[in-house]
Formats: sequence, structure tokens, C-alpha cells
Amino acid sequence: MQASRARLFKEYKEVQREKTADPDIQLVCDDSNIFKWTALIKGPSETPYEGGVFQLAFAVPEQYPLQPPQVRFLTKIFHPNVHFKTGEICLDILKNAWSPAWTLQSVCRAIIALMAHPEPDSPLNCDSGNLLRSGDMRGFQSMARMYTRLAAMPKKG
Amino acid sequence: MESDSISHTSPPSASNCKDISRKKRVGTSLSCFHFHFRFLIFFIDVLFFVVDFQRSAKLKQCKLDARREQWLSQSAVKNKVCCKEGTNDGDSKQTQRGERDRSLENFEMRGTAEANGEVENVSVQHESDSESFPPNSHTSSSLLGGMDSGTSFTNSSSSSTSSGGCCSGSITEEEGGDGCLDDWEAVADALAADDDKQELDPNENNKENLCLGSTPGLEPNPQLGSNGEGSDLKNSEPECPRMVQRATGTCRAWRADDTFRPQTLPNLSKQRSFPATDRRFGQGGVSWMRNSAFSVPSSCPICYEDLDFTDSSFLPCLCGFRLCLFCHKRILEEDGRCPGCRKPYENDPVEAEASVQGGSLTTRLLARSCSMIARS
Repeated sequence: MQASRARLFKEYKEVQREKTADPDIQLVCDDSNIFKWTALIKGPSETPYEGGVFQLAFAVPEQYPLQPPQVRFLTKIFHPNVHFKTGEICLDILKNAWSPAWTLQSVCRAIIALMAHPEPDSPLNCDSGNLLRSGDMRGFQSMARMYTRLAAMPKKG
Repeated sequence: MESDSISHTSPPSASNCKDISRKKRVGTSLSCFHFHFRFLIFFIDVLFFVVDFQRSAKLKQCKLDARREQWLSQSAVKNKVCCKEGTNDGDSKQTQRGERDRSLENFEMRGTAEANGEVENVSVQHESDSESFPPNSHTSSSLLGGMDSGTSFTNSSSSSTSSGGCCSGSITEEEGGDGCLDDWEAVADALAADDDKQELDPNENNKENLCLGSTPGLEPNPQLGSNGEGSDLKNSEPECPRMVQRATGTCRAWRADDTFRPQTLPNLSKQRSFPATDRRFGQGGVSWMRNSAFSVPSSCPICYEDLDFTDSSFLPCLCGFRLCLFCHKRILEEDGRCPGCRKPYENDPVEAEASVQGGSLTTRLLARSCSMIARS
């Protein structure tokens, strides 16, 4: 409990110090609860998610960093490894491959990498996975781009 | 105050060295002077009284004057001589003290003389002690050093017997030193405990001084060397309590091992420290290289707390991922995998070595081979 709090506080200070270090990630802590974080990540370039800003919700357990944080997308995203309704993320480092050496910042980076390199063989979004596995890149990209435009881009006008 | 406390410690010990006696003398002379001063004033008052009432008896006054002069000079002499003969109770007490001081000095001189005389006996006795008493250090060192260390041991022992005379000289020098003032109480207590070893006490004192004077890092103690080597071999698992224990252990070994450490130690350390230091330097170099290769972080990557010296020398995994001991323990309690490579920690060999740490190399090797077998 105390260790996780101390660690999160240090991470918070680190984030504040290196705010401009990674322009694709904006990590903010809840004002009242240091175990609740939200992150805004930019969709990687040359992907259908380019131009979109996706919101992530972190729920940090008290055993952190020995236990991984629970991360999910608050922004709707069409991605084979993200549950379309709940926003749950299928990522090994958030499950069994977690290491205490990871930070919330590095988790955000891993999620950006996952957006750029989807794993259709372990899908949470079966439609998306099926499109990719069937080789319909055009269908997948247009669907993903549409949802990016719908959910992850600021409304024009 | 100090002189009082000294005089109250029941048996006047031979190890109360010259400094203490000197101090005592200063104290007693001060109090003596004070007393005489007051007595003098009183005497002068009486004198004036007598002068007032017996003006006619001028002859007597002359006599009194003469006596006063005599008294003055006498008291001055007394102040210098530190009240050797007393006129009343306080004086007699102080004379006792002074005599005790003198007797102390005499006894101390005798003690040193005896020590000088018994140098060879003592050294022989302590050699037999050292051969029988700390088996760990000798076995481990002989195992570590192979045949050479064995020969070196015999060499050193012979040199210790031969160089007794020089040793006594150093002892008498050390007696007057300031270091003995630091723990004279402890020495006095030890003396009160057993009066039988009073001949050895100057040596004891000397040893204490040496223990205090020499820094533990520079102290070329064979046991320390072997232990340090063991820890270097392990290259990990540094624990503060054990380090402290080791330090006290070496101090004890130093005391119990040999009274004539200053003479024998150079030989011993020369013979033993060559392979030991070489190995240590090699290990240090390797660890330093490793450090530089993996760029030791200043803070623990898990809890972000600063790594102290023990943490930064703690390498729990072959992948080189470093973390503090607390986080390592927590991880061992949870899933026991290295955060760097996600492989399970092999904590068994480390712990086996830790348990065998005080023992000889053979058991350590045995533990290591066991762990190797278990691993494969």
C-alpha cells in the first residue's frame, strides 16, 4: 500500500518533470486518488488511428508495481485486441508478462505500439480480427479510420 | 571528579596507565592546594587574634612569625610535592590516594616489566590458542590459499616468537598513549572481573589501543580477508546485520587470536593478502565492469528509492537487472521473477551461500555444486 503510493508519487513527479519528453502521451493523475489515472494518447502515424486522441483509464492496484495496472480504452476504437464495448485491452504485459519495471508511461507506449501492430490471432474484437486474418486490409483500415473519426477526433464545427 | 571515580574503582589495576595516574596527581594536588590555602587563611586569622591579645609577648610573635614563614614555605613545598605527609584526616586520605598512585605506577611498571619478560611465553601461549581457537579462519584461509598459506602461517608464527623484544618496546610506548584513556573503564571492569590475568593486562590495553587506532578497512585481518572474499565470491546478498557481526567478529578474533598482532600481522597479511587482494581486485574489476556495462541506476527501478551501497552491489539475476533488497524480497514473496528478464529468480544458491558464509570454501563449493545440480 505504502510502497505503491510512494512509487506512484514518484512516477507522478517524473511525469510532471518530463511532460514534454513524449508528446504522444499525456498522463494525468486523478486529483483525489493517486490510484486512478487517465492518459491521452495520439494515434500513431501511418495507421488508421492517425489524428485521433484516445483516452485510457488506469486503475492501479495496491500491489502495484508487483501487479499490473488495469488499463482500458475510454474512447471507442476498432482494434482486434481491444474489446469494442468495454475497452478492455488484450496485451501480454498487462497480464502475465507484466514486470514491476514497467511504468504507467511505458504502458502507454506499449499500447501505442499495439495500435500500430495489432495481433489478430488473439482478438478481443472478433470482427476486426477476422477482417485482418482474412487479409482484408482495406476493410479493416476503413472501419478503424471511421471509428477514429467518429470517436477519437474533436468534433468539427 | 575523575580522580574520585578512579579511586573508587575497587582494585587498583595494573592497566591504569601513567596518564590516569598523572591526571590523578593533578587532581589531588589541586584539592591539596585548595585545602592548604583555606587552612592558611584560618591560621593567619588566629595569628592576628593572638597578636591582638598578647601584644606584650613580642618574642612569641616573632616565634609565630617564624613559624608562619616556616609553615608557608612548608605548605608551598607540600603543594609541589603533592601532600606526601598529612596533618589531618583529609590529608591522610589524600596521601593514601597519592600512595596508591605511586603503588599503581610501581605495579604498572612491574606489570610492563613482567610483560616484557613474558613476551615469549605469552606469544607461544597465544600461538597455541590461535591454533586451537578460531578454526574457521585458518581452515578457510588454508583452503583458499592452498599450500602457500599453510607455510605462511608457520613462518609468521616463528617470526612472532623471534620478534618478541620489539613487541615489548611497542607496548611500553603504547602505554603512555592517549588511546588508553578512551576505554580505561572497560579495562578496569575486565580487571575487576579477573585478577589472575593481571600480567596480561598491559597487553590487553595495548590490544585495545591497537583495535581503536587501526581502521577496520585497513586492518589486514586474515579472517576479514577470507570473509570479504567470500562475500565477493557471492557478489551479492549484502546484509547489514551480518556485516556488523563480521566486524565485531574480526575485532574479537583480533583480540583472542594474538596479543602481538602488530608484529605478526604484516607477515600474515603479506603472505595472505597477495592472493586475497588479487582476487578482490579482480572481483572488483569484474563487478565494476559489470556496473559500467549495465550502468547501475541511482535509484531502484521498482520503488524509485535511492539505491544505497549494499543495494547497488546487489546483483540478484544474471541478466544484470538491479533493484533494491526490499523490492527483491517483495518480488520473491509474490511471483519471484526478475523484472528485467521475467525469469524466475534463482534464490536458492544465494541463500545457501549465505548460510554457509562463515564456513569453509568446501561447503560453499558443495552448496554451489548442489545448486548447479538442482538447476540442471
